[in-house]
Amino acid sequence: MTGWIVRRHVRQTALRLVAMVLAWIMSSAQLSAAEHIVEIEKFKFVPEQLTVRLGDTIKWINRDIAPHTATARDRTWDTKRLKKGEAMSVVVSEGMQMDYFCLYHPHMKAKLVLDTSR
Amino acid sequence: MMKLNRLVAVAVLALSLSSVAVHAADNPADLNDLQLAHVAYTADNIDIRYAHLALAISKNPAVREFANTMIRDHEAVNEQALALLKKLKVQPQDNFLSKFLLKRADKLVDEMSKLRGKKFDQRYAANELAYHKEVNGLMRKSFIPNIENGEVKALFKAGLKIFEVHEGHAAMMVKKLK
Repeated sequence: MTGWIVRRHVRQTALRLVAMVLAWIMSSAQLSAAEHIVEIEKFKFVPEQLTVRLGDTIKWINRDIAPHTATARDRTWDTKRLKKGEAMSVVVSEGMQMDYFCLYHPHMKAKLVLDTSR
Repeated sequence: MMKLNRLVAVAVLALSLSSVAVHAADNPADLNDLQLAHVAYTADNIDIRYAHLALAISKNPAVREFANTMIRDHEAVNEQALALLKKLKVQPQDNFLSKFLLKRADKLVDEMSKLRGKKFDQRYAANELAYHKEVNGLMRKSFIPNIENGEVKALFKAGLKIFEVHEGHAAMMVKKLK
C-alpha cells in the first residue's frame, strides 16, 4: 500500500516537472520572438537596417503625411498603403526577402539582417 | 519685414508667370495666413489636376507612376490641411494669387492636352520640375517664415519636405526623358 502511494507521488512529481519544463520552453520561445518597430519619418525608414530573428515581428508605423509602403524588393511581402499614423506588421519567415523599399517613393530603401547566431 | 518678404516672393512669382498679368489693384503684401493656406491648397489641387492629365495621356510607366504618387501625396497633404482648418475652425480665403495660379494652370492644361507620346511626357516632367521648384521656393523663403500659427507652420514644413522629394523625383524624370 505504502509502495503504491510512493509510486503515485513520484509519478505526480515527474508530471509536474515535465509541465514546468514545457512551460519554461514555451515562455522562452515567446520571449525570443521579439517585436521590432520601424518608423517611417521624413521619407526614411528608421532604422534603415534592422537585425531580426526568424519568428520576430516587424511593425512599420508611418509618421509622414505622405502615404508609404514597406515592400519587399521582389514584392513577395508588403505592408500595403500606410497612411499617417497607420501601422502594419510582418512576421520574419525562412527565405524572406530582406531588402525592401517604398513602392510610392522608390528612393526610400532599407534592409533586414537575419541573425542566425541562436 | 514680413510684408516685404511676401511682396518679394509674390513679385518673383509674378515675374515667372509672364503670360498672365497681375491686376494692378491686388496687393500681395496683404496676404494673410488663411490666404496663404488657400494658395497652398490651390497649388496642391493644380498638381493633382496635372497628374490626372498625365494618367489620361501618358503610356510611359515611369511618368504614370510619378503621376500616381503626386495624386496620393498631394491628396494626403490636403486631407491634413482640411483637418487642421476644421480643428482651428477657420476657412481658407480665396485671393488673387490662387486665382492667378488657377488661370495659369488652365492655360497649361490646354497646352499639354494637345501633346502626345514623348512630347507630352517631356512637357509634363519639365512642368512638374519647374512647378515644384517655384512653389518650394515660395514656401521656403516666404510662406513658412511668415506663418504665425504654429500648427499651420508645422504642416507647411511637413508639406515642403514632401514637395522637395517630388522636386528631386521630377528632376530625375526630366533627365531620363531627354
